[in-house]
Amino acid sequence: MEKSTWETHYKTVELNEPIAVVGSSGLRSIGRLVVDHLIDEMKPQLIAELYSTHFPLIYQTKPAYSPQPELPGIGGVEIESGEVGLPRVQFYAHSHPPLVITKGYNANFSGQYEVAGRVIDFFKELRVRRIVVVAGYGSKEKKVCCAATEKKIIDEIKDKFQIEVAYKGPFYGFSGLVFGLARLRGIEALCLLVSAEPAPTDPEAPDEESSKMLLDKLKQILDLHS
Amino acid sequence: MNVEIKMLKTLQPKESVLIGGLPGIAYIGKLSVDHLIQQLKAELVGEVYSKFFPPYVMIRNDGIVELMRNELYYLKNDAGKDIFFLTGNAQAFSPEGQYEIADKVLDWAIGLGVKRVFSIAALLTDRSFETPSVYGTTTTSVLLEEIKRYGVLSLDQGSISGINGLIIGLAKKKNIDGICLLGETRGYRTPEGLYVLDPRAVKAVLDVLTALLNLKADMTLLDKQTKEMDDLFKKIAEIERNMREEITRKPSYVT
Repeated sequence: MEKSTWETHYKTVELNEPIAVVGSSGLRSIGRLVVDHLIDEMKPQLIAELYSTHFPLIYQTKPAYSPQPELPGIGGVEIESGEVGLPRVQFYAHSHPPLVITKGYNANFSGQYEVAGRVIDFFKELRVRRIVVVAGYGSKEKKVCCAATEKKIIDEIKDKFQIEVAYKGPFYGFSGLVFGLARLRGIEALCLLVSAEPAPTDPEAPDEESSKMLLDKLKQILDLHS
Repeated sequence: MNVEIKMLKTLQPKESVLIGGLPGIAYIGKLSVDHLIQQLKAELVGEVYSKFFPPYVMIRNDGIVELMRNELYYLKNDAGKDIFFLTGNAQAFSPEGQYEIADKVLDWAIGLGVKRVFSIAALLTDRSFETPSVYGTTTTSVLLEEIKRYGVLSLDQGSISGINGLIIGLAKKKNIDGICLLGETRGYRTPEGLYVLDPRAVKAVLDVLTALLNLKADMTLLDKQTKEMDDLFKKIAEIERNMREEITRKPSYVT
């Protein structure tokens, strides 16, 4: 294996300065659920998949995005409808409106930068003009808040959609690092965070209610009509 | 991207010194450097990014996202040599990363005329003291004698964890002067395992460093923080004492 992170491209698409929506497994599976719902509803085309030897067969951490690398966890090849597939990041394209819907995957501790960096490279190739990251944060209060790579985006979202800054603190894993690297590499990015009650014994237990709240706001921002 | 130094300003090489302090025990290194940057109004001139920093981001109070990074500040010092400062919100998580980052930052600094590197670290102790001592280790015995004249005790043996020690070790390999000042601290931690800030040790180190470099920095803020920490520890001790008294007052039999 020559490279530790590589992509398989299935289709070449011409998108006019698309917006990339990024979500991955994490707190109460919010990011993953929002992206899955969006894919189900919009029926985008799978255009590429990213693989990496940094996607663990046994997680060094549990959950995968934990900042502490010592704890064991679950990971490995995925089996769906009886077929086996490698763990991967998937990129779906939608033409009108132009979107790149990205289903993320958490790499191990030392490989997260490489994977997130390659995702940003691919977004640059696709001339992505803005990234919208979707995720959850731990709180009992039901609320959608935002963060961004620059103040003008926060002002825009506050003015148009009455979504404010509320969460401060660390953001772990695939989606957090894509968000941070977007700033470093000069792609503007908005992050929509919905509160979800942490489930310590099963951190990724799906929270459909919070995911729905976030999905509704996302559709409003992207001007998608269901 | 193993290590990337993003320059925010073009600088001309000039003989100067580098002072580094990154997060570690009781945050003595980082707090010392940050205090000097703030008081002397040093200018942010570069940012260090690396895949070796812990892979997460911080969302700030204002909602803006930040990668883990180190920062390089510059002070034009009319009273002596110009100063570069190295601070940041993280250290690399692996030894390979610590070496690569320290190596790259040192080469960058040497390229801009740095001839002497200071680093600030902590020395954990379990002895009781009124005023923390400042220990030191250097790349040459001549330098050690120089800092002893400022009341620094020689750290005759031991080890220094992380980049605050490594940067001096690598400075020696690169044939430039290196001085590490270590502030004595009890290294108290919160129940969550986080280090409690030790502004008293920071001040002790900065008293030495400012004298060595002929700098004038206001220490009022550190005095205020020291008093706040003393008051906090007194309150904790009082709560503990009251709890002990409460326990001993209760009948100790079961009917």
